[in-house]
Amino acid sequence: MLFREDSIARAQHQAVRENVGWFQWTHDLVEVTGTDAGKFLDYLFVNSIYKAGVGRTKYTTMLDEKGKIIDDTIVMHMGEDHYWVSTLYAPQFIKWADAHSNGFEVSYRNITDDTVMFSVQGPNSAKMMNALLKSSVDDLKRFQVVDDQIGDVSIKVHRSGFTGENGYEIYCAKSDAVVVEAALREVGKSFSAVELDILEVYVRSLSMEKGFALRQDMFGLTPYECGLDWSVDLEKDFVGKDALLRAKEEGPKQLLMGLEFFAESYEDITQREIVYSKGIPCGFVRAVIYGYTADKNIGFAVIDSAHAVVGEKVTVGSNDSPAIVTDKCFL
Amino acid sequence: MPLNDRAEQRKCIETVWGKLIPEKEAYRYATREIAAFCANLFQVMRILEPDYNKRTEAICEVSYMMNMSASCEQYLKDFFDEWNIPEFCEKSAWLGAIFGDSGDEYENMAGRVIQFTRNRVEKELDTCPWDIVGSELCNMTTAMFTANFDLTSPDGENTVALNMCEARGCGDRHCRVVAERRDVFNLPKQGWMDHMQQPVMPVHNTPPERSFTGGQIIRNGRYSNAFGEEKTFEWSYRWCMELGWVWCVIFPLVAIRDMAATEEEFQRIFKIVFSTAGKNAFVEPFAVEGMRSWLGVPHEIGQNDPRLMGGYIKAVLDTQLVPNELIAFTKEEIQIKVKTDDFNGRFEMAPTEELSLGYETFWHNAVKTMVSPEWSCWFEGKDNDEMTIVVARKIDKRMI
Repeated sequence: MLFREDSIARAQHQAVRENVGWFQWTHDLVEVTGTDAGKFLDYLFVNSIYKAGVGRTKYTTMLDEKGKIIDDTIVMHMGEDHYWVSTLYAPQFIKWADAHSNGFEVSYRNITDDTVMFSVQGPNSAKMMNALLKSSVDDLKRFQVVDDQIGDVSIKVHRSGFTGENGYEIYCAKSDAVVVEAALREVGKSFSAVELDILEVYVRSLSMEKGFALRQDMFGLTPYECGLDWSVDLEKDFVGKDALLRAKEEGPKQLLMGLEFFAESYEDITQREIVYSKGIPCGFVRAVIYGYTADKNIGFAVIDSAHAVVGEKVTVGSNDSPAIVTDKCFL
Repeated sequence: MPLNDRAEQRKCIETVWGKLIPEKEAYRYATREIAAFCANLFQVMRILEPDYNKRTEAICEVSYMMNMSASCEQYLKDFFDEWNIPEFCEKSAWLGAIFGDSGDEYENMAGRVIQFTRNRVEKELDTCPWDIVGSELCNMTTAMFTANFDLTSPDGENTVALNMCEARGCGDRHCRVVAERRDVFNLPKQGWMDHMQQPVMPVHNTPPERSFTGGQIIRNGRYSNAFGEEKTFEWSYRWCMELGWVWCVIFPLVAIRDMAATEEEFQRIFKIVFSTAGKNAFVEPFAVEGMRSWLGVPHEIGQNDPRLMGGYIKAVLDTQLVPNELIAFTKEEIQIKVKTDDFNGRFEMAPTEELSLGYETFWHNAVKTMVSPEWSCWFEGKDNDEMTIVVARKIDKRMI
């Protein structure tokens, strides 16, 4: 939990909003190779992976046969017939891939243990990266990944992040992580960069303020119910497409919405706490956090469509905590 | 006008008189029943070992070792897979916290993870069904948590100072367990009696108006952890009825048995404690009235009727999810058949005959005040695959 009076968490949060912060956040990584690697990933994911050239990356969700989200990932096109899938749940992804790989010339392996990722985020992140890397990041586009070096260490730089600020991800071999971390710490000094070590700041507080949800927030919903219409490519075939088309035609039964809480703190609200409209259940909470820039207790909730209206007054949980339904982005 | 074909269905436990006990109420009751059994067992321990420190250290040692041996590498791996704990979570730091949080919620220990970082974890509880047992148990749980942390320590050494700095069993409003990394906070390795210290960093005290009265599975019908993985109420209830006995009865029992000079001495004291508890369970007349109301006992069932006790025993078994069958249910005799392994082995891997001994003694004495001293309760065929719980008249010139 994060609280308004936590000055350490606030300093870490605001460093990313106002200057630059860095942290180690190694996602699970699955390497996918083979002549059908691109086709296979296009079949697993809703977004058009085939449109991402080498060196480009795409955000996408992965659906089950019912058209419901079971994962959300960044797919990185690292080379010819060579992709990385950045997920939080590599073992589950591999099980799912096993179930759908028949007929594809493709292989995949969990490379999480070989790789470490550091994230550098904030309005001054480009300046810090330029001081850190051999090459400049000035021409690096969002969702682009390139090879570079920190000293003698080969790394990959991905312009992306989960904070809503401009930012970069540095991927290096695990054996080089100590060197990269030391370089970040040293270079960071001249930018007054802050090392973030509070998970909830870089996973929840920063991201939720900007409307970024985790897979677990969207699990069991369709992309349309999460406002991810833009990421669905209906021109191609993918797992769950038929069900998703039916769901689209029927319209969303529930929506992932924001909640703004009015109580001082949220100790009595956990994930899955029930949301009530006039005392009648109308949804459930997915996550709650204190946002240091928004200066509010905020959250995501799955709300029945009839009540998923910005400004709808609701109460949450067994102590009737008052809240209103909001957009997912709080800044 | 359209009418529904049938009423909406919900799961309940039906008493022999047709009263429906909602599933959540049954779960709450059963959880407290396990705690009550544990409280009786701890009275046995206090008689056998008068020294507070000695007995507390003994049960801490055993529960630590049992938890270490129970949680093998594959078990932990399965746990991580089951919970989808991502790679960025440093497993050595957080396993204990995640493990503990889910266990708390399955056992209706309602609360929240206040802090969850590499160097510090703080967990606060508003309720605990076991808060009647006594502070030795509160100490013992920290020994179990220590095992959870030690199991995933990178070098196998104890790296975390773990304190139950508040405990409802000690009269505090909250239970509060804080784990602080020893190297970061410059803390010494702890002995078993050092686990109820105050933490280095200040705690967050949730105000009463934001407290819970029931766990997630009561409030929301399921447990959901910080990574969004969920367990249903049904799954959690079953888990609690199996493993709820293991940590608070079966683990400490290993140490408590060793406190007695002989097996006879252990059984003698065990029976005395459980008899006293049984006699006192219904000594107040309103206790019987309350029970009649809870079970929906009709007025035709009079005061000196063994069916009162039979219906009560069956409800206890049903709420504890123990399969059983009524064989006789008359004014003269009650017989309830149950598989011996089901009764003693709530968690299949750890059967314990003290469950039979404890309940037989408890019910034999409870019937004296609930119904009348003319009635007794005993278990027939305890050494067989199936045993029968009998409530009938018995005369014993040396009855206790």
